[in-house]
Amino acid sequence: MTNRCEPIRIQIAFYLDEELREADREVLESHLSECPGCRALLERERRFLEGVRASRPLYEASPELRRRVASVLEEAEPALAAPSDLRRRVHRSLGNRLSARPRGRLRVVMAVAAIVLLLGVWGVARRNRRIEVPGPSEFAAMAVDVHLRYLRNQLPLEIASESPERISAWFAGKVSFGFKLPSYQESSGQEKLYQLQGARLVGFKNDYAAYVAYRMRQRPITLVVTANAVAMPAGGEQIVSKGLRFHYDAINGYKVITWSDRGLTYALVSDLEERGQQSCLVCHAGTKDRDFLEDLRK
Amino acid sequence: MSMGQTDQTVRAVPDFRQAALEHLDSLYGYAMALTRNRAEAEDLVQETYLRATRAFGQLYPDSNLKSWLFAIMRNLRLNQLRQQRGAPHLLEIDAEEDWQWLDQATDDPLTTLMRKTEREQVRQAIEQLPVHYREVVVLRDIEGFSYQQIAGILQCPAGTVMSRLGRARERLRGLLLEWRTG
Repeated sequence: MTNRCEPIRIQIAFYLDEELREADREVLESHLSECPGCRALLERERRFLEGVRASRPLYEASPELRRRVASVLEEAEPALAAPSDLRRRVHRSLGNRLSARPRGRLRVVMAVAAIVLLLGVWGVARRNRRIEVPGPSEFAAMAVDVHLRYLRNQLPLEIASESPERISAWFAGKVSFGFKLPSYQESSGQEKLYQLQGARLVGFKNDYAAYVAYRMRQRPITLVVTANAVAMPAGGEQIVSKGLRFHYDAINGYKVITWSDRGLTYALVSDLEERGQQSCLVCHAGTKDRDFLEDLRK
Repeated sequence: MSMGQTDQTVRAVPDFRQAALEHLDSLYGYAMALTRNRAEAEDLVQETYLRATRAFGQLYPDSNLKSWLFAIMRNLRLNQLRQQRGAPHLLEIDAEEDWQWLDQATDDPLTTLMRKTEREQVRQAIEQLPVHYREVVVLRDIEGFSYQQIAGILQCPAGTVMSRLGRARERLRGLLLEWRTG
């Protein structure tokens, strides 16, 4: 075993899992071609993994469980049908921006439109079932922290712009996930009641999250976005509304809502006092916004 | 993915039903990995499907149904554990010692296991692992999820998945070697 073997050996399992980056894979394969010791180790690891994988499936569900699950799925049809209607409305209100997306590509769905939804959700929250109230997630806490640091001028924006397109373009290549802010407000033709301020990167879990600053009636609103793989919404008061699950927390007097959508996890932080439907109509009085909000009124 | 990992998409309710049912054995296997108790596992599977049907709207057409179902199941299990143990923080998942209490050794495994087939031996060895190792082996080596997908299900960085998986396999290899040579 040479000095070069040790880092190679650490990577053998990743190589067999096909999780090694191409550059590392080339280095490893090149080393294997000239090192019988590492080749033997690779074969041993391969046989071991094949042995483990040959034990699939570990268990099989009993016919009784299969019947129980089929029954659950059968009875749930009305609940399943509702969200697709909401999604159609969202698609329409976003001017079909969400349709015909390349498969597998992570794109933003709601960003600004979510503000409408979220403020509305506060309103309907009391009518929806609550599931549990554990503490806020690490991601929600981070978003509030970032919001506070921004207020203290400790987090200067790296790009100042009111253009969703410019900000989306700025994030391209800087974050590890596909991210595009919809120009929702612009497409609705309404008077601009909230403004995009700009954006920057913020560190979270050894990765960059996208920080987007808005202002609504001179009050700052923070949107932080990361990938599902980095953080998932958790904790807080969970509110299921029209097919989306929102986690609502109040941290240090700030309201933070986290949710997950199409591979991305979002956190929205504000100190807005309004709750419910009225607050939505204050900021989203445009025709298309109203159309969207109809769904929340039910 | 090399192991036939699904990139399954669902667009309508009947599709969802059919696709979700296809993962029943996998979900039951994961439930057994999390609970090691058949009755609890079956209840967990049923509850997972119930939650999934209610939250179906969160699943967009290019989402991965299978990893979504697994994530729901794991969150449900964490909630169950919280209720049983007070209210441990989610981060406790990463503190491996915190899961040790779940790890109840079965009676005299060596006597019974040596008579079983190799496949059964692997299954038993996986069952012997502490739950945080067991689940990562099940997710990767049995279900074929990628590191990123596992990170999404476990809500931890991919680096944690890699290191935990390495230790889990090492422990598993040790157990199998011990049984086969002992």
